[in-house]
Amino acid sequence: MAILPKIPEYKAEWAEGEEGRWGIAIDMDLCTGCQACVAACSMENNVPFVGEHDAGYGRQMAWIRVERLWEGEYPEVRATPFQPVMCQQCGAAPCEAVCPVFATVHSQAEQINLQVYNRCVGTRYCANNCPYVARVFNWADYSNYPEPLANQFNPDVTVRRRGVMEKCTFCIQRIHKATDQAKAEGREVRDGEVQPACAQACPAEAIVFGRLDDPESRVSKLSKDKRSVKLLEDLGTQPRVTYLKGGYHGNLG
Amino acid sequence: MQRVFELLKKKEIQLLLLIAFMVVISGGAWALYQTQIPPEQPILFPHDIHVQLQIQCLYCHPGAQRQASAGLPTQQKCWACHGQLKKYWDPAAPVPLEQWPVELQKLAGYVERNEPIPWVPVYIVPDHVHFNHRPHIAAGFACEQCHGDMSKQKVAELQQTINMGWCITCHQQNSVDDPQKRIKLIDCGTCHY
Repeated sequence: MAILPKIPEYKAEWAEGEEGRWGIAIDMDLCTGCQACVAACSMENNVPFVGEHDAGYGRQMAWIRVERLWEGEYPEVRATPFQPVMCQQCGAAPCEAVCPVFATVHSQAEQINLQVYNRCVGTRYCANNCPYVARVFNWADYSNYPEPLANQFNPDVTVRRRGVMEKCTFCIQRIHKATDQAKAEGREVRDGEVQPACAQACPAEAIVFGRLDDPESRVSKLSKDKRSVKLLEDLGTQPRVTYLKGGYHGNLG
Repeated sequence: MQRVFELLKKKEIQLLLLIAFMVVISGGAWALYQTQIPPEQPILFPHDIHVQLQIQCLYCHPGAQRQASAGLPTQQKCWACHGQLKKYWDPAAPVPLEQWPVELQKLAGYVERNEPIPWVPVYIVPDHVHFNHRPHIAAGFACEQCHGDMSKQKVAELQQTINMGWCITCHQQNSVDDPQKRIKLIDCGTCHY
């Protein structure tokens, strides 16, 4: 019997007010709510279609959604700006603490929140505890596409089975690809070199991705902008996604 | 319940149960054996001959140094050499195709039909694991550290059980003195995403 290797016990440690490594800044004044990010994300990350029937049960699996709320009493109703919401990759994530099998862990290397699909047993505690409702659950092997359709899957991303929780990964496969390329060329990753699918698809360039620990990067400048807000900041989750909101959209946005 | 015990006393029933038991055991053994033998390849490619001819691994598997997958050669790559071997193509006395070795005849068939050779990958990882050759080659690992000595193998076979314990043991051993590197190498997100 082989002696099992000793794997050190994993514990996510974050410092108070830590910036994190990767981050997104979303300019809600630029967002037109076109849903291109939703489509691009689903294509990049093998997010399956659930169909009309299951979507009616609220089982839609998009990792990013364009949220829009209505303020005020009728007839003085006005729309809030379009707000794309994905996993906020919290520094102090509420989802991590409740997973009984450590399937959602904090990556020390990339400073994001991981979902390890092969560990997940589908208790859905994490989704219950996520204040941003960013997690989706695969209820019924939606990824079982018939043969020619299965060719659309991105080989860089796992095709998840049913009974597994999943969520936005900040397109970690693209982060890996870019860091790998940068390492091979003996340099640091340039600002703007890594782009998640949502940022790449955004026609208004409302979504900006980059290094938060680099004060010169576009995203860290934007996240220190005076228009910046974080979602549910008072919960102390230290989200890595910053929203920029200043302008008024009028009645229809 | 009494009836079941009565039945079990019968010779025929005992024999039937024995046969059923043996069928299950041998079926299990057969299934286990199937996981241990190398997969059947379209061409029985002899690695040993090619390694002895001093052909580099990266000549046929060039992806290893620039991408995730090492890649398996197309029929064109094989034919680049085999289409001009002096042994068969000597202008003075060309050897007719019928007298070639059987495996080379198969290769010639693929070239003639312009059809890629359907090689069966031997070293595979599950879908939820993303192995990348490039950083391993860049870190200075030799192919034989994982794939074994190919000069002693004919058709490629699995030399190493590919599992996470094996991966992580090596990752830990190679990051003992560098905490920054260890954080990266034992991070879940490095392979699982």
